[in-house]
Formats: sequence, structure tokens, C-alpha cells
Amino acid sequence: MNTEGNEIFADKKSGFKKLIFPGCVLMIYGIAVVISPVGAAMAFRSSTGILLNLMVPLGLVFTLMVFMNLFLKPTHIVRFLGKGSSSRGIILSAAAGIISMGPIYAWYPLLKELRKNGAANSLIAVFLGNRAVKPFLLPVMISYFGLMYVALLTLFTVSGSLAAGYLVNTLAKD
Amino acid sequence: MKIAVSSDSSNLNARVALRFGISPYLIIVDPETMEFEAIPNPGAAGKQAAGVQAVVVAISKEVDTVLTGYCSPTAVKYLADNGIDVVTGLKGTVAEAVAQYRKQACTIPARRMDKPDFAGAALLHALKRSGMQIVNLLPIFVGVVLLIGLFKAFISIDLLPSIFSGNALLDTLLGTGLGSILAGNPLNSYVIGGEMLEQGVSLFAMTAFITAWVTIGLVQLPAEMAALGKKFALIRNALSMVLCMVISILTVLTYYTVSGSN
Repeated sequence: MNTEGNEIFADKKSGFKKLIFPGCVLMIYGIAVVISPVGAAMAFRSSTGILLNLMVPLGLVFTLMVFMNLFLKPTHIVRFLGKGSSSRGIILSAAAGIISMGPIYAWYPLLKELRKNGAANSLIAVFLGNRAVKPFLLPVMISYFGLMYVALLTLFTVSGSLAAGYLVNTLAKD
Repeated sequence: MKIAVSSDSSNLNARVALRFGISPYLIIVDPETMEFEAIPNPGAAGKQAAGVQAVVVAISKEVDTVLTGYCSPTAVKYLADNGIDVVTGLKGTVAEAVAQYRKQACTIPARRMDKPDFAGAALLHALKRSGMQIVNLLPIFVGVVLLIGLFKAFISIDLLPSIFSGNALLDTLLGTGLGSILAGNPLNSYVIGGEMLEQGVSLFAMTAFITAWVTIGLVQLPAEMAALGKKFALIRNALSMVLCMVISILTVLTYYTVSGSN
């Protein structure tokens, strides 16, 4: 019988799954060391170079995450999404999408429930579209692509999500 | 104030259900007036994520306290994260449980989640949570970085530019396709995107790739269809694909115009 306890089991299972990919990459490294030790050393140096370059941006990412976890609770986000399909509701849904964290599948049960309680399709679509904007990852993004590019991409992504909300609402009417 | 009580039936005289996550009903009671609302628990069948569904009901109804017989540690954690107290070990009817709670007579073994009672506790909690989030994304992130190292050392630098022709439309389409089938933390897409640029791939392709990575979820499509309906999920993802290409082209063209580069 499936009960609440399964969630903990599922967490452990997904934790193990996350190690499969890096484990496979390490195995390829093992093979590379045997076939071409020089190439493997080059690959490792290149990877550590990338990691070192990302240390400072990742430190900023952690700081932003702490602030968001300190001041934003999932309940705030849920309440944002519950407000009708007025322009205020759309803005709040966009904000909820931007500040939401964690994998999308963790949000599906919540979105399903909100939709059942009357949240409009447009709000759900706007929320999902705005999950593309990750404020806490901006330091990494800027370090790679520059401030102007990131600002433009963010602006167009938010605008695109609003368009998606409108179109989904029109096309997915039951 | 609102109290949610797990219940076997839909009235105040019903017995308190033993397990919060799979109780047939959640009775939302105002302890002052004893007005109540009986909500069928979507997770009552005990299928997957039963506990989460009851938690969602409690959060969306903005309750302050949950009274129940037993609540799993995971559900307690979710509720506590949302500022909801949990009192377990309750028996008798729903009305009796509420009365007991009001009189502070819950001398039965109770589990009450303490809200942070000093400023540092909230910060400690946020630090711990953020640390866990970083630790969770590290394995895949490190795997991606190690893979990029292998790619740079062993694969010809001409490979990527040979796939991405430099044609803005074609590159955008290819970048969107590639980003749509891959999924995961956006952090990984930035690292891969940065590497694509370094290898000579166009900004159109890279922008489409990182945009599609987060807005289109072909891997998660079955889960989205199950949660939000087939029609909604298919329309949203198809639209996102088109919009992803539009966003990428507009972003890059504006960037080139504003920065004066090409």
C-alpha cells in the first residue's frame, strides 16, 4: 500500500538516481586514463578550470538562495496563484514563477489542486513560463553571457510568458 | 484562526482519522464559532503522493493548525515550512479534538512544530535549506562539467560548428530542439551554453538552447499531462516551442543592435 512514508523512500531513490550520471562520467574518465592518460589529464584540468571560474558566482547563488529561503515560503507563492485572472493575478503569477524554486515536478500536485480550485489556465501557463527566470542563478548567467544579454533575455522571456498565458487561455478553453 | 482535523466522515461528530495523509476528509473548523467545511481528501485512496495532496489542501485553505492521529515526518516538514503547527496523537470526535486543543488539554503525546523563536533560527533554517538545494544540484552539475572537460580534450573543435551552420533560423530551430529534449537545473544549461559559444556556435543557437531547456519539458510532458490535462500540456509546450524561437531571435537581434556587435 502506498502511503505518506513512500515520499521519503522516493527522495532516497531520486538521490541515488542523481549519482548515476556523474558515476557514468567518472567511468568514462577511468577508461580515458587507460587509453590516453595525457588526454584525461587535459580533460580534468579543463573541468577544474570551469569549476574554479564558477566558484565566486556559485557563492553568490548560495547567498541569494539563503535570502529567498529566508523571506519566501511556498505558501506565499500558492496564495499569489490563487487570485483570479485579472492583470493583478497575472503579475502575481509571473512573480510566483520567478521566485519559485526546485524541480517542476514537485510543483505539479500543487498546480493541479489550484487549477481544480479555479485558477485560470493563463495563470498556470504564466507561472510555468516564468520559471525560466531564475534570480538566484543570475550571477552565473551574467558571468557567462554578460549583463546586457541577460537583461534582454529576461525581459523577452517574461514578455513571452505573458503571451503564452494569453494564448494558452484562448486555445485550451474547455 | 482555522484548524484542519483529519476525519473519517464529513461532520463534527466523526472520529478523528488516524493518518493525516490518507484520511477520507479534512474538516476545516473555526474554533471560535465551530463553523466548519468538510473537504474530501484527494489523497484518501492512498495512491502516490497521498500526503502531499492533504498538505496542499491544508495550505490552500490557509489553516493555522492540523490536528490528527499521526502525520508522517515529510508531511510535518512541509506543513511546518508553511507555518502550520501539527498536533498528533488525537482521538475521539472532531469536535472533541478541537475542544481539547482550545483548552490546551492536549497532554497526550503531541508533536508540535515550533516556529523559530529567535531570529537566528530562521536564518539557520534558510542556510540549511539552501545548503541542501546546492548539494542536490551538485552531482549533475559536476558530471556536466567533467563531461565538458572530456569533450574539449577528445572531440574535434570543428564538430559543433559543423552541426550549427551559422544560419540564424536553422540554428535557432536546432538549439530549441536540443534544449527541449534535455532537462535539469538551468545552471547546467548555462555551463553547456557557455561552452557552445566558446566552440564557435552562434548566439542564436545558444540562446534557443538555454531558453528551451527551462521552458519546454518533453521529458516531463507525461507528468504535466497527468497533472494539468493532456490538452493544456500539449498546447502549452507547443506554444512554448514557438515562443522560445521568437524570444531567442528577438533577444539576439536586440543584443546585436544595442551592443553594436555581430
